[in-house]
Amino acid sequence: MPDTSKNTSPYTADRNIPGAFEGETVTRRRFMTGAAHATNGIAVGMIALPAIGFALGPNFKKLEERWEAVGRPDEFSPTEYISRTITVVAGAGETGKTTVYLRERNPDIDHEPEDEYNQYIAISTRCMHLGCPVRYVPASQRFICPCHGGVYDFLGEVQGGPPVRPLDRFYTRVKDGLVELGPRFSVNSELKRFSPRDPAQDLDALGQYLFPSRPTIRKIPGT
Amino acid sequence: MLKLPSVPGGAPPRPGTPAAEPASLKDNASEAAISALGWLDERTAISGTARWVMFRKVPKGTNWFYTLGTSTMMAFLSQVVTGVFLAMYYDPSPNNAYESMRHINNDVFLGQFVHGMHRWGATTMVVLIFLHMGRTFFFGAYKYPRELNWVIGVILVLLTMIMALTGYLLPWDQRSYWATAVGVNVFASAPIAGPYLGDFLRAGPEFGATTLSRFYAIHMLLLPGLIGGLIAAHLYLVIKHGTTAPPWIEAEIDEDLRKSEA
Amino acid sequence: MNRREKEQYLREYAVLKAKGKPFFPYVIAKDGAMVMIVIGIILTMSYLLGGTIAAKADPTSTTVVPRPEWYYYFVFELLRVVKPAAITPLATVGIPTVCLILLLLLPFYDRGPERHPLRRPIATTAGVLTILVTGYLTWMGAEAGAPTEIAMPPSANVVNKEDPETVELYLKGREELPSLGCLACHQIGENGNHGPGPKLTDIADRLPEAGIAQTLRNPTAPMPSYQSLEPEKFKAVVTYLGHLTKENEENPVEGGGE
Repeated sequence: MPDTSKNTSPYTADRNIPGAFEGETVTRRRFMTGAAHATNGIAVGMIALPAIGFALGPNFKKLEERWEAVGRPDEFSPTEYISRTITVVAGAGETGKTTVYLRERNPDIDHEPEDEYNQYIAISTRCMHLGCPVRYVPASQRFICPCHGGVYDFLGEVQGGPPVRPLDRFYTRVKDGLVELGPRFSVNSELKRFSPRDPAQDLDALGQYLFPSRPTIRKIPGT
Repeated sequence: MLKLPSVPGGAPPRPGTPAAEPASLKDNASEAAISALGWLDERTAISGTARWVMFRKVPKGTNWFYTLGTSTMMAFLSQVVTGVFLAMYYDPSPNNAYESMRHINNDVFLGQFVHGMHRWGATTMVVLIFLHMGRTFFFGAYKYPRELNWVIGVILVLLTMIMALTGYLLPWDQRSYWATAVGVNVFASAPIAGPYLGDFLRAGPEFGATTLSRFYAIHMLLLPGLIGGLIAAHLYLVIKHGTTAPPWIEAEIDEDLRKSEA
Repeated sequence: MNRREKEQYLREYAVLKAKGKPFFPYVIAKDGAMVMIVIGIILTMSYLLGGTIAAKADPTSTTVVPRPEWYYYFVFELLRVVKPAAITPLATVGIPTVCLILLLLLPFYDRGPERHPLRRPIATTAGVLTILVTGYLTWMGAEAGAPTEIAMPPSANVVNKEDPETVELYLKGREELPSLGCLACHQIGENGNHGPGPKLTDIADRLPEAGIAQTLRNPTAPMPSYQSLEPEKFKAVVTYLGHLTKENEENPVEGGGE
């Protein structure tokens, strides 16, 4: 039976500490315990941190703004959409392409403030519910999603089904006599521009704070 | 069958065997096997573990529902084997993935069959793991002292479903592309963390060249490792706590035992 | 379970275990038989069905109808039925997260000592209900037709009994209708979405042909007007819709649709 009054002793053996050896002090024991944890922690960190950084890199690497010519201004009409295929990810071949519906701005129905980037309206074909491919049906002037029942009107605003915001758009500009398509941006239900978000991320009211924009690509400043 | 030697380091000499008589081939072979096992056991003490795993008692009355766990594990092992062989032909780049799958299907000997085994093995594993979970639920087998094993099991169900999701992007056909796009967007719709998680899975804001290789690495390295480790933990806990008895089997306390205890 | 119940369980289990049979070979043999069946099923399915692949992935496509593997149909259907937008997060995040947490923590809130399914009415009912709901959603997901085609076969009542001109218009309307986007908001048979518009499978029972034509020209918002449609197409669609009755639905032509 160890005498508890001896617990003030600096020697670990006196205190019944497991594995203690003759003459080992508490300070020495504590130092070595700390050293064991520290070396192991640092070793794990040295392996894990670069690996995690490597995997997370694409989350933070800034992407370049791409512009791609899609045709002459007279190819587009203000009343009907024309589809064009553009590249959104460089160096990915067919995988990096997407289809966009394009028309000229029509002041009668397009009420969002006019600037140099919306003389032509370019609508993305990704459903804003979960990213299925929407299709424009001229007869009903609707964008229709084949997955979960999303329907959008001529402006890309939600008409029915589960989508949480209007269809994304692309910046457009006219340069050297050609219509060019730029980066994608998202819009809320008032067609106000936001940095590009993923589908299913609401941008009205609280939504814009719940779904922060990504650091890699943002909307063009001042738009 | 694993034969357990009673004495390490070789079999004892048999009494009554005349030394002069030459040993038959069969005797020599079995002695060689026993001494090899004895050598192994002396250095690893494996026979104790084997005895602990194989000769533990299982309550009477366990029925066919108790075979679902083993079957799920075997389906997983089948996935590992067919997966390794598919990986020998598969090329995880967006430009070549589809062509390499067509090559497996059309040109490789038994290619479509092994591809089919992996595909239907996945379906079978998903069905079995849910049946196994159902059995555990209705038999109350998740209760004390097996709570932790239930938690591990639910994580295994989740990992299996993610395994299925990451797996079917790989053929890079229309079905896989869009189903995975939707799957990633479901993850990305979680508040606050969602957008970052989506970008991590896709390696960027859009599906690109690295997305496929990322899913491939997750599907064939990360998740199988996790699932394998968790299956080991699951089995360890099953053996430690023992297989549950069906809930309708009543324990009859032995009267003699009770008297001797009193 | 309190301490006494835990000890009692361990004691009873120890007795059952002591009286049991060894894992090897009795349980292994049974497991082995089941594994044989399972591997047999996998091999049979691989032999009969093989590993098929669809067309190559095409991110620029706007005509593809994405559908998941069948064991994800319940998620697919959940995503489909939960609308409008205000409650969409329920299906994408809310319900799955809650279900997962409930499942993970099951042994921590269901702590009673009883294990027999018939003496745990709440747990058993909840389990059976979960299975029924998942099964129902899976079945609904499997049935969900694309809004780009009509799978419902033409009616024998029309094809065999009406005059050739009407039959031709009827069949043309059946071909044309999916391309007009009607199925985005209406349902015909298994195709199309439940709402915002009413189901059209038996519209002719409720509305005469003239009424249908009137609605197509002057619809109530948010339905778009089909006034500008070519007259021939318009007539075909109206003829098709005008013959969609419950009776006609129940008398499909031999051989069904495509």
